[in-house]
Amino acid sequence: MFTKLLVANRGEIALRIIRACQELGVRSVAVYSDADAQAPHVREADEAVRIGPAPSSESYLKGDVIIEVAKRVGAQAIHPGYGFLSEREWFARAVREAGLVWVGPPAEAIAAMGSKTAARTLAISAGVPVVPGTAQGLTDAAEARTVAAKYGYPVLLKAAAGGGGKGMRIVRADGEMAAALDSARSEARKSFGDDAVYVEKYIEGPRHVEIQVLADSHGNCISLGERECSVQRRHQKMIEEAPSVAVTPELRKRMGDVAVAAAKAAGYVNAGTCEFLLDRDGNFYFLEMNTRIQVEHPVTELVTGLDLVQWQIRIASGEKLPFTEPLVPRGWAIECRITSEDPANGFLPSTGRIEHLHLPSGPGVRWDGGIEAGSEVGLFYDPMLAKLIVHAATREQAIARMHRALLELTIDGIETSREFHLRVMEHPDWQSGNISIQWLEQHLDAIATPQPPDDAVLAAAVAAALIAERDRSARGGVSTTAASSAAPSSSPAAATGGDAWRRAGLLDGLR
Amino acid sequence: MKYIVQVGSRRVDVVLDADGIVVDGTRVSAHAADVQGSPVRLVTIGDAVHRVVARRTGARGQYVLRMDGWRFDVEALDERSRTIRDASAASSAAKGPAPLMAPMPGLIVRVNVQPGDEVVPGQGLVVMEAMKMENELKAASAGTVVKVLAIPGTAVEKGALLVELR
Repeated sequence: MFTKLLVANRGEIALRIIRACQELGVRSVAVYSDADAQAPHVREADEAVRIGPAPSSESYLKGDVIIEVAKRVGAQAIHPGYGFLSEREWFARAVREAGLVWVGPPAEAIAAMGSKTAARTLAISAGVPVVPGTAQGLTDAAEARTVAAKYGYPVLLKAAAGGGGKGMRIVRADGEMAAALDSARSEARKSFGDDAVYVEKYIEGPRHVEIQVLADSHGNCISLGERECSVQRRHQKMIEEAPSVAVTPELRKRMGDVAVAAAKAAGYVNAGTCEFLLDRDGNFYFLEMNTRIQVEHPVTELVTGLDLVQWQIRIASGEKLPFTEPLVPRGWAIECRITSEDPANGFLPSTGRIEHLHLPSGPGVRWDGGIEAGSEVGLFYDPMLAKLIVHAATREQAIARMHRALLELTIDGIETSREFHLRVMEHPDWQSGNISIQWLEQHLDAIATPQPPDDAVLAAAVAAALIAERDRSARGGVSTTAASSAAPSSSPAAATGGDAWRRAGLLDGLR
Repeated sequence: MKYIVQVGSRRVDVVLDADGIVVDGTRVSAHAADVQGSPVRLVTIGDAVHRVVARRTGARGQYVLRMDGWRFDVEALDERSRTIRDASAASSAAKGPAPLMAPMPGLIVRVNVQPGDEVVPGQGLVVMEAMKMENELKAASAGTVVKVLAIPGTAVEKGALLVELR
């Protein structure tokens, strides 16, 4: 095992890695930008080194500086976390060439999985199913119909030069093909100056299901089961869970085998994730492989009982996996990403100081966060502040537990995604598991700006009037009514926490 | 004291008097107390306890209230202040729709309107990038674009004037 490890990241994941180091008896070295000089990850580490000003391009993305720091402080390994430099092939290579250990897959595996096209080619050669599609443009509707017959309807026409939905048409039957192809072509020509259109199988209402794999450097590679991450907004995951309601033990085994095959084809070592689309009939299609630890790794940790970050470090130090069979998930885990976004205001980023933070606790609740009371939330870094994760025996219990934990969570000073998550937990579609990757976008307005129930509105009106009255008397105006100080005098709140006016009177009496 | 409380789009009359509280004509017992060392207040209505965090937002009486897992924009004003504020709101509404301002510092990515365009509430006017995410800034009310000050590719501060409407 290493004696000292450098953590090339910030926020919650840096803290997560430092905690793993502490439990493994490895000294941890934090790096930080000027914006993070007092951040929790800096304080919890054994050593901390400043690497530059706040913008990540001048600090957390400075690979050469980070490697220099690692050599100077005598760290033997670098853990990149997620984001920043974690999937940069050149950085993984530079770390190795500097004589340090990279806590992650070999640079060659990152390269093999780096681009979607390279990963798709590799996956096909390893027998991994991908979304069927023609690579080159179609000549006419007759050819399109032949291809569609092969894949089965519905199919998707896509502009070869395209993006952003332009030149894209869903075709559900032979009869629609000619007209759809014409309009896709003309739109593609207008948008991209190129009317080449190809066909892909259209996956209707798919779920995002991914498989966590763990591979050691001794040739063992196992699947740790699936996570479902279908609750997404603009391709950003908001909520993740393990296992998935749509995955049977038989499907779990098939998907796990395929993920292991893809990892082995890439010469993979360490923790990695294969992402798939899963259709309603249980067919799955490889999307890409993420060659790093993922944000949502805790849900897998909770249902497998494994510490994935510790295993990343153990594997990097040469340890062998003690198990060779896939693990069976135990219970249900859900994660909500707590972000500094304002759901009531189009998810605009919210900035400011966290004035108060009360964390949920009690049975089955885990908080992986990088914030605390006093933290400044700015615009330099990712808006994800923390992850709230729960574990329970069943999905139903896990949802109730998450709802309870979200109610306990109190963040004052900035807007966060807390209320958004509460509304999702209350939604019947989510509760029944009847969701797809389009579900959130289709219900976003009702979830982000919901209509509160009448009794809650009335209670809020009473609270607002009481608080306005207290603020009024605190400003020095004479309270004209008794209601704002109507606590029974036997109540301890009246003596210690009563309104400012009454407190002032008490203090006067004590003088 | 009578408060007229605006909660979202709804107005509720709350009268505080010596015997307690009357909400929309119904008498209830209610009380608020601070939790020491935190911004949390305990609001008791009848026997029900509510944990409330109120943050002053703009003018006097305006708060964001977090209560029972809901977030409310509220404005609690006495009758006189309510009348004054309604009158000034009516006069500023008569002056036309509010201009679009940058809600945070960031980079202008796209401008989707030009002078003369008619816009409807909720229509995206400008796309800004902040925290690596693109954010669409929408029109709060209907109007006609008078002037576009946002220039794609430039950085703006919070509060910068982006689009003037009439």
